Amino acid sequence: MTTPRGPQPFAGQEKRLRLLAFVRQDSIVRVDKRVEDTAMVWPHLLVIEFIASMLWSIGLFVIAAAFNAPLQDHATPDCTPNPSKAPWYLLNLQELLLHMDKGLAGVIVPTVWLTFMAVIPYIDTSREGVGIWFTSANGKRITIFAAVYATVLTFSLILLDAFLKRPEDQGGFGYIEKATRYLPGGKQLFPNYIIPIVLMIGLSVLLVLIVKRLYAANTREWMIAIYTGFVAVYLVLTVVGTSMRGPGMDLFAPWAVPATHQCLEPKA
Amino acid sequence: MLEIPAQIWQKTKTSYIWRSLFRHGYPDSRKNQSLAVFTNVFLHLHPVKVRRHALAIPYTWCMGGLSFFLFLILTLTGTLLMFYYHPSVDGVYNAYGDIKDLETVVVFGQLLRNMHRWAAHGMVITVFLHMIRVFYTGSYKPPREFNWVIGTLLFFFTILLSYTGYLLPWDQLAFWAVTVGYEIARATPVIGDEFAFVAFGGFQLGPNALLRFYVLHVVGLPLLTGFLIAIHFWRIRKDGGITGPL
Repeated sequence: MTTPRGPQPFAGQEKRLRLLAFVRQDSIVRVDKRVEDTAMVWPHLLVIEFIASMLWSIGLFVIAAAFNAPLQDHATPDCTPNPSKAPWYLLNLQELLLHMDKGLAGVIVPTVWLTFMAVIPYIDTSREGVGIWFTSANGKRITIFAAVYATVLTFSLILLDAFLKRPEDQGGFGYIEKATRYLPGGKQLFPNYIIPIVLMIGLSVLLVLIVKRLYAANTREWMIAIYTGFVAVYLVLTVVGTSMRGPGMDLFAPWAVPATHQCLEPKA
Repeated sequence: MLEIPAQIWQKTKTSYIWRSLFRHGYPDSRKNQSLAVFTNVFLHLHPVKVRRHALAIPYTWCMGGLSFFLFLILTLTGTLLMFYYHPSVDGVYNAYGDIKDLETVVVFGQLLRNMHRWAAHGMVITVFLHMIRVFYTGSYKPPREFNWVIGTLLFFFTILLSYTGYLLPWDQLAFWAVTVGYEIARATPVIGDEFAFVAFGGFQLGPNALLRFYVLHVVGLPLLTGFLIAIHFWRIRKDGGITGPL
């Protein structure tokens, strides 16, 4: 049996067509779009969604069958593992904690960042480049530049900090001892507040200035630079925190991280 | 021979009961395809037609949809896990013992727990990737500004959901990972101790923290997240669907 193409009444319902069926969807939301540009959700979109959800279900099932979720011993407040680490998606914050004041790294910086991210559309209000990856070729160049800039700088700063803070007798700079002795505010004011804040703001501003100078970046483009910088820093901190921190949260090469000591100070 | 099943099928399709269930024929015509979408409570999240651009996986990465899909899987597996879980630190029925039981006694318990765990990690990743896709394609631009704000909130809630769930097994890993967060909460300027006290139910991690995290994890945060997801989807529709070149 062949079915004629096009709209057709279904059995017994010839007279009960609803008006809604005749309202052209384009007239509601998109005035400027031609019909040729669209595809029916059933089947085109639903097929993609079905396949995607099946693949992910199977993938999740295979992963869940192959790898067990970790479970260690019963929680014991008396036995502190060294190092104790947060879940990996918060290790970026934990990594940041090592380089500045706890409240600054753990609360203020993430709050400022989330707020800044939320207001991005209110700073970059142009409609330029909607629906186009990286907006333009220039945007793509800026993305690459910002990613390299932020990755290299963050990684260098982590290494520099590790060197500076190592005591002098271990071949480091003995920065904390020197700061305590010579700097106003001791080991708090400069090492934990002023230097990190100046670096975070200064390097971000510098990035914007560079892309404005080198790539004549407009608002959308320097926003790309800042956002890319954030993503790169976030990833570097996560990777370093996850795979390069061992006991005492000391820095190690990823392949040389010693095993976690299960109990730092077992009490009797 | 074949006429008999065909006749039965035809009879079924025109029966009173069938027509009360399905208000359209098989979706092989434009009209029935439209009806299939907008007379179905689940499918009507979608418009009847989308721009071809919105179907391109190199453009969408599918990450928004997959985040939602993982959210649904997490809701399902999480609800099943709740049947076996007591948010209690000690006693005959306690959190750690329940997880041990899931791994050793409950049929498919280990698989259930694994799926919940890995889907939770997966959702953090997919939400993050979705955010990256939306940013680099400029999809936060007018009229979608506020939906981007909701999106950042959803990212935050995804992390919170994952983090509150991390404590629930009450093993060493959970306890000390959450202790790191507790120390961060206490370092909040001005209201640090008060904030940590309210969020963790005490000045150290204990039964109150477990109960609070449990309630937040299974009721509070999923409700809030679901609420925001509803607004997020609604606004995508109202703003003309997924973005594309103008």
